[in-house]
Amino acid sequence: MNFLNVQHHRMLRQTFLVMKITTLLLLISIMTVSAATNAQQITLKTKGASLQEVLSKISDQTGFNVFYSQDLLTKSKPVTVDLRNTPLATALNEILAGQDLTFNINDHSVVIKEKELSFIDKLKNKVTESIQNIDVTGRVIGEDRLPLAGATVQIKDGNNSTATDANGFFTLKNVEPNATIVISFIGYDKKEIPATTNPGAIKLSAATSPLDEVKVIAYGQTTDRLSVGNVSSISAKQIAEQPVNNPLLTLEGRVPGVIINQVNGLPGSAIKIQVQSQNSINSGNNPLYVVDGVPYAASLPTNLESVLGRGNPAPAPDNTYGNPFSYLNPDDIESISVLKDADATSIYGSRAANGAVLITTKKGKAGKTQIDINLQSGVGKDAKFIDMMNTQQFLAMRRQAFANDGLPVPSIVTSPFDYNYDIDGQWDTKHNTNWQKVLLGGSAQYTDVNGTVSGGTENIQFLAGGTYHRETTVFPGNAADTKASVHFSLNSSSENKKFRFQLTGSYLEDSSLLPRFDLTSAAIELPPNAPMLFNPDGSLNWAPTPSGTSSFSQNPMLAFLTPYQSKVKNLMSNAVLSYEFFSGLTLRSNFGYTNLQQNEFSPGPLSAIDPEDRPTSVSEAQFGNDNSQSWIVEPQLNYSRTIGKGHLNVLLGGTIQQSNINNYQILGFGFASDRLLNNIQSASTIQALNSSNADYKYAALFSRLNYDWDGKYLINLSARRDGSSRFGAANRFHDFWSMGAGWVFSEEKWLKEKASWLSFGKIKGSYGTTGNDQIGNYSYLSLYSALTAQVPYQSVTALRPLGLPNPYLQWELTKKLSIGMDLGFLKDRIILGADYFHYRSSNELLGYSLPNFVGFSGLTSNFPATIQSTGYEFTLTTVIIRHKDFTWTTNFNLTVPVDFMKLIAFPGLATSTYASSYVIGQSIYNGKLYHFMGVDPTRGVYQFSDGKGGVTSTPESDYKNTAYIPINQQPRAYGGITNTIHYKALTLDFLFQFRKQTGANPFKFGNGIAGAPVTNQPSFLANGWTKPGDLVSIQRYSTNFNYNGPFSDLMSSDAVIEDASFIKLKNASLSWQLPDNWVKRIGLRSVRVYGQGQNLLTFTKYSNGVDPETQSPLTLPPLRVITFGAQLGL
Amino acid sequence: MKIFYKIWSSRTKEFALIIFAACFLSCNKLVEVGPPNNKIVDANVYLNDATATSVLTALYTGLGKTGLTNGLLSAPLYSGLLSDELMVSSNNATLSQYYTNALNNTDTTVPDYWSTLYSNTSIFTTNAALDGITTSTTLTPAVKQQLLGEAKFMRAFYYFYLVNFFGDVPLVLNTDYKANTLLARTPKATVYAQIIKDLTDAQSLLSPNFLDGTLLTNSSERLRPSKWAAIALLARVYLYTNDFANAEKQASLLINSSTQFGLTSLAGAFLTAGSGNNEAIWQLQNTVTTSNTPEGRYFIPPSAGSLQQVYLNPILLNAFEKGDQRKTNWIGSQILNGVTNYYAFKYKNNKGGAVTEYETVFRLAEQYLIRAEAEVNGAGGEILGAVSDLNVIRNRAGLPNYTGTVDKPSLLAAILHERQVELFTEWGHRWFDLKRTGNIDAVMTVVAPQKGGTWSSYKALFPIPLTELQKDQNLTQNAGY
Repeated sequence: MNFLNVQHHRMLRQTFLVMKITTLLLLISIMTVSAATNAQQITLKTKGASLQEVLSKISDQTGFNVFYSQDLLTKSKPVTVDLRNTPLATALNEILAGQDLTFNINDHSVVIKEKELSFIDKLKNKVTESIQNIDVTGRVIGEDRLPLAGATVQIKDGNNSTATDANGFFTLKNVEPNATIVISFIGYDKKEIPATTNPGAIKLSAATSPLDEVKVIAYGQTTDRLSVGNVSSISAKQIAEQPVNNPLLTLEGRVPGVIINQVNGLPGSAIKIQVQSQNSINSGNNPLYVVDGVPYAASLPTNLESVLGRGNPAPAPDNTYGNPFSYLNPDDIESISVLKDADATSIYGSRAANGAVLITTKKGKAGKTQIDINLQSGVGKDAKFIDMMNTQQFLAMRRQAFANDGLPVPSIVTSPFDYNYDIDGQWDTKHNTNWQKVLLGGSAQYTDVNGTVSGGTENIQFLAGGTYHRETTVFPGNAADTKASVHFSLNSSSENKKFRFQLTGSYLEDSSLLPRFDLTSAAIELPPNAPMLFNPDGSLNWAPTPSGTSSFSQNPMLAFLTPYQSKVKNLMSNAVLSYEFFSGLTLRSNFGYTNLQQNEFSPGPLSAIDPEDRPTSVSEAQFGNDNSQSWIVEPQLNYSRTIGKGHLNVLLGGTIQQSNINNYQILGFGFASDRLLNNIQSASTIQALNSSNADYKYAALFSRLNYDWDGKYLINLSARRDGSSRFGAANRFHDFWSMGAGWVFSEEKWLKEKASWLSFGKIKGSYGTTGNDQIGNYSYLSLYSALTAQVPYQSVTALRPLGLPNPYLQWELTKKLSIGMDLGFLKDRIILGADYFHYRSSNELLGYSLPNFVGFSGLTSNFPATIQSTGYEFTLTTVIIRHKDFTWTTNFNLTVPVDFMKLIAFPGLATSTYASSYVIGQSIYNGKLYHFMGVDPTRGVYQFSDGKGGVTSTPESDYKNTAYIPINQQPRAYGGITNTIHYKALTLDFLFQFRKQTGANPFKFGNGIAGAPVTNQPSFLANGWTKPGDLVSIQRYSTNFNYNGPFSDLMSSDAVIEDASFIKLKNASLSWQLPDNWVKRIGLRSVRVYGQGQNLLTFTKYSNGVDPETQSPLTLPPLRVITFGAQLGL
Repeated sequence: MKIFYKIWSSRTKEFALIIFAACFLSCNKLVEVGPPNNKIVDANVYLNDATATSVLTALYTGLGKTGLTNGLLSAPLYSGLLSDELMVSSNNATLSQYYTNALNNTDTTVPDYWSTLYSNTSIFTTNAALDGITTSTTLTPAVKQQLLGEAKFMRAFYYFYLVNFFGDVPLVLNTDYKANTLLARTPKATVYAQIIKDLTDAQSLLSPNFLDGTLLTNSSERLRPSKWAAIALLARVYLYTNDFANAEKQASLLINSSTQFGLTSLAGAFLTAGSGNNEAIWQLQNTVTTSNTPEGRYFIPPSAGSLQQVYLNPILLNAFEKGDQRKTNWIGSQILNGVTNYYAFKYKNNKGGAVTEYETVFRLAEQYLIRAEAEVNGAGGEILGAVSDLNVIRNRAGLPNYTGTVDKPSLLAAILHERQVELFTEWGHRWFDLKRTGNIDAVMTVVAPQKGGTWSSYKALFPIPLTELQKDQNLTQNAGY
């Protein structure tokens, strides 16, 4: 017992000791960093100079005394160095490399002395000398002259290899004097040098092949050459070419396997993203977003409903409040990577079943301080209007509707209850307004100003930037979204490069003032003879009838009386600390914190209510306050070393993450005056509409082992254990894993000799599991929450059950198999990539649908079905022309989904609530549609196949027997082609995006029942059924709702399905780099002027002028934006 | 192997150990969260009187919260449009659909009685509360008894409307979704049997006093269901199920409690009980400040010039006898463009602020009419009693005694007519009366075309929402839809 205690104490003591040492080490490192900033810097270039000469120059430059004994220098070798602003210690290290000498820096003096060799070293030297092999000691640097740590140095065709240390130094021992040394590093071209004792600084130049471009992956970096996973990425340059509000939108058409839809054309609108497939039926289809290593919210907390979330395709339920990426500045982003298969994502375990999107922000680079300013301004327009009826056509349709119904056309004079203002004489029947022109015909102003300062030395680099961004809408008035943001990044390392510190942060404020609703539906639906929006005196026109009733209560300008105001503050910060214990072993940890704060205000002034109803109405205003914050700590231990000709990398890490979402909405009403709506204190009654507070905790352990044998054979294994607070106690943890392998067959000698045209060839494959915990918090608890009321019933707070609890929730599991091949031809001028993916999800977490009579329409549950998605992705990069003054590069990508969420198995389907909606072997997204059979010539209504050989106008009444046509409305192929052409200083870049799909056109038969009161229709609808025997395609016009049934069935029939494929000139940009001599004359470093456009042209067969991407006539489509700008370098 | 040994043997071993040990040991802690601090876990809800009372209060709050166009409180509006009480004067699609008797099984989203009545503001909560309260051992006995009574009463109340709207409905009596998901429709008679059982239990459980929010003190208002509310509904249910003896017995219990109940003046029939309205049996407090009652806000034009979405149907206006003071007292009018529009004016307050009226669910006048009808139909041959009960109601409206033939058919017709003009725009009485007395086809065949619609017998019942049929294979649609 006692003994155990003692041991225990000893362990504790040791632990404390280790912790003390760690603290001390950290402190010393930090101090070293600060010392480094004041250290002496050396600039020196010599070739074969004597050491003595070099040392005296050091003394001259630093003012330090340099002490040494002459006989030490007798054995010294000539020195070849190229130093620029290099700290003294580093400079001396480089100068003395391979000299058997070492040094001490004391107060203002340097002492050179003999290196004390260990006994073993001495022995080794003896042995080495005996066989005359040499030790090669050198330093590897990049184009910016900064050391490259971790570069692989190996003997060509031999087994001897090593890696450079933090300062770029390496020593390769026991090298045959006539050997060739190969130096390689990620993102740089390989370099071969002959073996000499002191090759000095070896400079690598940045990679020229796209295969060697660095891609950010989970907890690391890779290149296409060495990756076994499916990762696509885009760079800052491609992001900058696109005048968009949300950085995710820049991925569309450029990245295979990713579909992104902007749900409407307003700044800050919600988006819908899909990576390769949806793996979950209806919950949690967001990929995992990671910004600089810190997970970023995929959705905003519940808040006041605004115009941002309304549109088509309907955003995911959790995205109806806009999108959090609207609050991330695209100008700050260096790259976006999309991780798709198991190999790339399973290290993110539970959260990456739908892929992962990694965003890396810009960092400073060493060198002279540079200032970059980018000014951009332009306009956005609604690209296409729908051809609607004019007043004459409209009134003819309305009159026919009354005739069809056997009713007289009402008159305001004789018909007391009439509300047919368009036709009864209340509104001018001669007046004709094109409402699309009035309401959507404006120009949205686009302004973006960005300034960045960056620079630094070898040990410290910084970047700081600020951006101002403003976008207005195409609607009348000045509704605008304005953002201001700052971003900074600081990198520093200790003198010996063992300790590194990186701090990144950004802060953005967004102020949005948008109309309450999208005016597009008003623009389409308002009759062309609706009255003027404003009275001559400038006041809102209610167009009162003689008795005082407002006839124009739907005046669209009301949207501006009740605007939606939102103010968002988004803070993101991240610190990374790392320490290298010895060459190859690094402990690092990142600490991230994010805080998104949104304040909303949605007024309902009395002035927006019909004047005659104001006496019994009250003004109201809603206030929303939402906050989501999270922090994350991810300690990681990384070990890398070379083994023979291979390179091994082992990562062990852990994640601890906590998030809190907190929001409430308050309704105040009975304000003394409309002017006081912003002041909740002046409301006579205040009611809490909603208040919620949820905690989410997440923890994980992960590891990855990566081995690369001579750039030929690649193996990647990863494993992760995850725990999430969203599950009940029994099922909190789950394990995920993946394995991937690749074979670069083009590196094989036998192939290299035979097929020199093949510059690169790789086969890769991976298999693994990922999961999903994107369900609401606390689904396992049976909770009651307050039912709020303005006046508590009998002064008692009301409590009601919140939902059906499910304590048995388990992790959802997706098994992902991917196979791919990458080929490079003609020195990588043509690079072809092909990937096949095969995913199966089981135990889906979803809102399991229940009939409402059990109390709730569903509960969160594991779905006992298996869903499969498969598909192909292709990429082709071609350098068509490569000439000094003229280059032309194309990038093509194509995704072909084969199975989209196909139901493979569902035990008990027949007795489940899904029996009538799903079929085994079919996509669960295949809509079951009625089969359209034209217009009944006798009754003039739409009719459908009844499944028994007949026709019916009420197919739903016998829904079990009705003939259904399953139709796949998912894209069958999509992708894009980017062309980049450089001619001298001119660059032209354009992107065609395409999608092959069938889709519903809700406007194919007009907007609701033609002839119904005060709703305009497209002009092609001017030919409806009028009398028995008419053979027409449009059912009878009617003023009432008796024909609503057949019309809504029509909308659920195959009649509205058509080819919705399209090709869009999504983006084009033209820029000109001004000649240096012009620029120098005005005292600048560089000037680039450019023009760019977004959503420029659309080619489609989709009918009636509706956008094939949003497929909704009542939603503002993404705008055609054209901007001009200049980028100035100071 | 050598590599690993090298890592392990170095000092970093300790670093690694600390980090990973810390993570491992506290892993469970790291992903444990307490319950959210703005909600209560079910086990705690039924531990004390206040929170348990809050659950039942949510039902009344829910009723008092919706306006006249949503939830159960919209029964006067939509059944008034379906029958011959109201007419539409706007282009509102939903109103027009009800008005023209043009419902179909895909357009049942508003007012969606089906989902609302089964939801967590209705039946689900009564079932959850019955479970929770029954098993709770910490509630004050008097409170526990009252709450059980309220839950049973409310469950019966909701099912009464479900069977009258939809016919046979699934009888859900617990919160076990696994057991309930595939239920078929229970015959109407069985549902009624359950309603009667619940109401009989409620009658013995509920307090004979009108209670306040603590359930321990009496209140001058009649805002919580009491024994009397259970009796009032039971009388109605017995009438609807042709158990006339029991209907008469229950109605008499109320009519005979003259210390607590009595008819008021016409103008006072919808005032708050606290202001001396002894006709009220159960009223609902409005939980919005913008109005006193949904009817007042919806039916009465806010100003002389404003066009309301619905007005009273001329058929109803013409049904009043000459000299019926209800026509002048309970009906208002406005002149727009030289034409007079009539609106329901039983509730006279269309503003918020000071509370003068409460939404009245049960009032004594209905009990007189229930007893009269039961007496006519009853085996006891108390036909004269029926005439006397009928006259009580007629006299209050300033009408002379009944002078028609005193036989069963004439009296039943007279009572049906009296119910039409007494109970118009209240809780769907007219629509239900037409259905249960078998007069619906005769009346609606005439009325529907006048409203611009057509009539078929199947329209007496609402369609079951299509989405429900699709989720539960054992549900069947009402014939005709």
